[in-house]
Amino acid sequence: MNKRPFLGWFASPSILIAFGITASFLAIVQYSLRAHVPGSLDPGGFTLENFTTLLKAVYGQAFLNTVLLCFWTTVFTLLIGYPLAYAMIRAKSLALRSAILLISLTPLFLGEIVRTYSWMIVLGNRGFLNASLIQLDLIDRPIDFMFTMTGVVIALVHFTLPIVVVMLAAALSHIDRNLERAATSLGAGRVRCFLTVTLPLSIPGIVAATSTSFAWTFSAFATPQMIGGGKVQTISTLVYQVGFASFNFPLAASLSLVGLLFTIAVLAIFNTGIRRLEQMGAH
Amino acid sequence: MSTDPPADGPSRTLGKHAVKIDGVSKSFGKTVALEPVWLKIRRGEFLTLLGPSGCGKTTILNLIAGFLEADKGEIFIDDELVTQVPPHQREIGIVFQNYALFPHMSVTQNVAYGLRTRRISKAETETRVREALDLVKLQDFADRRPKQLSGGQQQRVALARALVIRPRVLLLDEPFSALDRNLRTAMQVELKEIQSRLGLTTVFVTHDQTEALSMSERIAVMSRGSIRQIGTPTEIYDHPQNRFVSTFVGDANLFSADLLRKTAQGARLGVGGTTLDLDTYQDDLPDPGPVTLFVRPEQCTLTAPDQPGAITATVALSVYQGSHAELHLDCPASEDGRVMLRVPCGEAQDAGTKVGLALPQRGPAIYAKEGGPE
Repeated sequence: MNKRPFLGWFASPSILIAFGITASFLAIVQYSLRAHVPGSLDPGGFTLENFTTLLKAVYGQAFLNTVLLCFWTTVFTLLIGYPLAYAMIRAKSLALRSAILLISLTPLFLGEIVRTYSWMIVLGNRGFLNASLIQLDLIDRPIDFMFTMTGVVIALVHFTLPIVVVMLAAALSHIDRNLERAATSLGAGRVRCFLTVTLPLSIPGIVAATSTSFAWTFSAFATPQMIGGGKVQTISTLVYQVGFASFNFPLAASLSLVGLLFTIAVLAIFNTGIRRLEQMGAH
Repeated sequence: MSTDPPADGPSRTLGKHAVKIDGVSKSFGKTVALEPVWLKIRRGEFLTLLGPSGCGKTTILNLIAGFLEADKGEIFIDDELVTQVPPHQREIGIVFQNYALFPHMSVTQNVAYGLRTRRISKAETETRVREALDLVKLQDFADRRPKQLSGGQQQRVALARALVIRPRVLLLDEPFSALDRNLRTAMQVELKEIQSRLGLTTVFVTHDQTEALSMSERIAVMSRGSIRQIGTPTEIYDHPQNRFVSTFVGDANLFSADLLRKTAQGARLGVGGTTLDLDTYQDDLPDPGPVTLFVRPEQCTLTAPDQPGAITATVALSVYQGSHAELHLDCPASEDGRVMLRVPCGEAQDAGTKVGLALPQRGPAIYAKEGGPE
């Protein structure tokens, strides 16, 4: 009976958290099924109208935007994060490894607002990026980054990079160096060794990083809100707009709920696909 | 090795040495991993690098493989200077301690890896993979994944994968240490058979002296980044040239002795209150002066305590070993106060019994007394 006497005490905070999450989730479900009474914060009677409203094109576009944002952010984060993680694990000098770790992790320590404002300064028409490109004579007119998908993706990549680098680095550090040495001794040059040994063995890490990056970007709010400036609507920015600009809590609740289910569905499809791939013997 | 095996393939005449290490040294920061080393490995020879961990044996292996770059000196493989050649062009087969099989590939894919990098045709690859798997008796496991194999089977795959590329040298990095004892002995015999059948130059790294003695044609005993003695197993065991080799390979009893004078045959020693005429002598010893006398357990004989010329000792412990018994004696003449010898089980004595110890004239070696822990 008393084999693990503190287990109950240690578990109690999780019960508290579970209670909080369940309660707020149920509140959202409840709100999503209530009618909106214009001019009042209190909801009306039970109805399914909120969900039929979501079928309108504007909401469909937000879903599409969100998925596109997630997709491109994930792709670019992986393309930048993988070499960074690889260098962080394999660099011989400790100073270089620490520098990469520090640079990759700083976005985590900057507040979301500070980080996004910095990006607004960099991405604006007279911002650092455009100014530099014009100075270098690479472009004649500033490129529109602000209030575009491109700008939002750039800022979101920065936002997602730390978590992806850390996850990929963990996966890469678990690959036995002797496997690469064995491949080398068998005649594989660097590129072949990477493509046939290192890359396939890091697939689990890539999969984990991809789903995390997807979910991470899906729930991002401040970045699309500030850099998208209302021109790039995502599910989170719409929830904010509907809930706190129009004070239509029921519609905001149903939008969040559908967003949540959508995320779960996307990740489930993704995971099934990966499992298929694994069974086919890719890993 | 009395004859060189016939060279396989090109008609280029090959020299006697498959590997030549010429004054190679290596440091990591301020730590010296390897003092300058000279080593020639004959074609078809099975050479063992034996020593405790950190002695530099793995460093030599990594230098031959090309995973490390030498600070100084040159390395030749088949008379070709390879010091600057990257590892993937050195044509070397390696069996790693943990086998390092590619977990995402089948046994066949693992073995075929080195042939695919060489762009060898599909038909020839198939034939050679089958031959290699036959050689290690794993024909029936071709489609398995490494995880589905036992430790011994994984090792055979690793060996097949290294052999299939017809390497110029086979490097073995403590390949048996992960196997249990019975399997280890079986794999040693099998590996040795394959090695001598193929006439393959092999460099074997181990810290296990039994393994080294049973498998090697020559052993290089290493400590602290340098080779302390190199020779056949018999030479190493019977005539260790220094105190480190004598204690690292086999069991040793070391006595404090005084070199009294040089004699016509060898030297006269004073040890444990008696004198001993040895038929060996070394030039670098103090004459007269304190020395260390080294005697193998099997060279000591038990006598009556009052026999003339015998060293007195007391039995401290008798350990039954099945085929024989180990007697541990308290002996003031010994450097560490203890002497070990093996006797038939019937002759084992109880603790506390006073006994005499007779040392032979032929066999023991004498070393200059050393202050260090060696």
